[in-house]
Amino acid sequence: MIHPVTATEPMRTPALQADGICKAFVSGHQRTQVLDGLTLNIDAGELTLISGPSGCGKSTLLAVLSGLQKVDSGRVQALGSELGQLDLRALERFRLQHTGFVFQGFNLFPALSAFEQVELPLNHMGLSRDEARRRARSSLEEVGLAHRMRLRPSELSGGEKQRVAIARALAKEPELLFADEPTSALDAANGQMIIDILHRIARTHGTTVLCVSHDPRLVVHADRVLAMEDGRILSDQRPHASLIDNKEIPS
Amino acid sequence: MVALARKTLIYEWRRFLPAMLAVGFAGLLQLLQIALVLGIFGSTSLYITGSSADVWIGYPGTQSVGSGRTIDADVESHVLMDPAVQRVEPYIWIDGDWRGPTETGGVSVFVSGIDPRPDGLMFSKALAPDLRTRLAEPGAVVVDRSVLDQLGVDIGHTATINGHQVRVVGISSGLRALGGVNVLCSLDTARQLNDDPTDSGPTYLVAKLRDPTQADAVAARLRGDTAFGPYTTWSASDFASISVRYWLFDTGAGAGVLFLAGIVFLVGAVITSQTLIAAVNGSVREYATLNALGVGVGALRKVVLEQAFWVGALGLLGASALGILLMMLARSQDVPVVLNLPAALACIILVMGLAAVSGLAAMRALRRADPATLLR
Repeated sequence: MIHPVTATEPMRTPALQADGICKAFVSGHQRTQVLDGLTLNIDAGELTLISGPSGCGKSTLLAVLSGLQKVDSGRVQALGSELGQLDLRALERFRLQHTGFVFQGFNLFPALSAFEQVELPLNHMGLSRDEARRRARSSLEEVGLAHRMRLRPSELSGGEKQRVAIARALAKEPELLFADEPTSALDAANGQMIIDILHRIARTHGTTVLCVSHDPRLVVHADRVLAMEDGRILSDQRPHASLIDNKEIPS
Repeated sequence: MVALARKTLIYEWRRFLPAMLAVGFAGLLQLLQIALVLGIFGSTSLYITGSSADVWIGYPGTQSVGSGRTIDADVESHVLMDPAVQRVEPYIWIDGDWRGPTETGGVSVFVSGIDPRPDGLMFSKALAPDLRTRLAEPGAVVVDRSVLDQLGVDIGHTATINGHQVRVVGISSGLRALGGVNVLCSLDTARQLNDDPTDSGPTYLVAKLRDPTQADAVAARLRGDTAFGPYTTWSASDFASISVRYWLFDTGAGAGVLFLAGIVFLVGAVITSQTLIAAVNGSVREYATLNALGVGVGALRKVVLEQAFWVGALGLLGASALGILLMMLARSQDVPVVLNLPAALACIILVMGLAAVSGLAAMRALRRADPATLLR
């Protein structure tokens, strides 16, 4: 395979591997099959976008691949670890060391300044105080909030809050960054800024960014776009790659 | 380390205020209750704690100071023979019926006949020396300031006890009794007031030792000799606690105190835990996000417990400040309130226990902080 950005992508081993995963939810007598024998590899250092109509299972796929939920059957490997075999504690430890999350809601503590929001999870990673503060400062600078880091969420705009949430995830220097509808609560300009930041994170940090969104603006920035419907992958595209790289998966 | 618990508590103080108030009022209620009970029931041992005797000698099986029976007067010389004993003096307790000059009806009084010499042991800490010497006059009595209305007298007035005339020569303070009124007079006056001819000896003998720290040993040594009829001995502190315990437990007051303490604890814990649970619920998405980022549930629980701790500590602080003010007010109004270290510690333990139980209950609300619920 020839990629236009080969020089900045040193490795091609999958960061995430899903093998025949199934997941169903039961409410009352109703059983809903959300993921149905899905097999998928997510490559390291790429921004991968999962899109699809609501209820197609894309958020569940994100939850399963990030170790927030267990699968009913099938296997999930993240960075070589078999997530299904980790207990609750080990999963927490795995997430602490390797993953960052950005959610649709910003989920910032009202009492803490932007700087403290970012520093807080770092305190639990066993970093020294100075190192935690250095990382918090540099990741807030990276999302363009150097001048706003002493402000509380109530003093920040929606776009700024989401950038704080991204900085909080980024400061952990994770190999995997999961984002769930990160732009849906934002206006066009702020949404664009978030997209640019996510894209840059994948490029400059070599972070594997897996983003779930139905925001069409994200498509042009993604290295790879997976379209989902009814718990299956409908299509798997690389918008920037030459046409021969695009392949359609028959549903 | 970012002090999430404390910063949230300060920033969202309105949210935590009900919990702090609940804890504070629970503490205050408990504090005042204990102080009142100690004050009121402490007055049942006033005869002992207000005197400077080290050893008390009285009828065997006596359950409180007010329920003594006479002992043989000759026991005095036997007690004096012990080399550790410096002085012995008799103390006469008579239940009397007081008729005042105004229409007060009959008032039940506890007559304490004491040695009126300036260096007398009985009530040496509660009675000013000049008041004491005035008692030497036949028929002279001293009553407490708080009962003047009840007795219908003032200084210089006359009244009768058991039909014998007495004259109020002085007014003391801090001599309130439980279930009656204390009247102090000399030993001679007390003997005149006694209607019962079979009561010849003193109700108690009180002894001062050369070395007060030997009270327990001397009391034990003097016990058990029956040559002078039935009597037994206590160290002053033992007899005081026997007296207080009798009132506290044998009257059911102690059970009332414990019952109320239980209610206070329960109500306080319900309000506090509900407030803390609401606070956790209000931040459940943020907690879930931290958990998604790998911050363990244990660390999140610690945040909730720390909040409970601060709520308890701040509530306690408020209760202490208000409690001290109210105690001072009570003292100025002659309401008997006493607080000692064990009672204060009991209050602190109750309040912090209440906060801890509430914190543990609120920790359960963290179960809802499941990061998977953030994805939809």
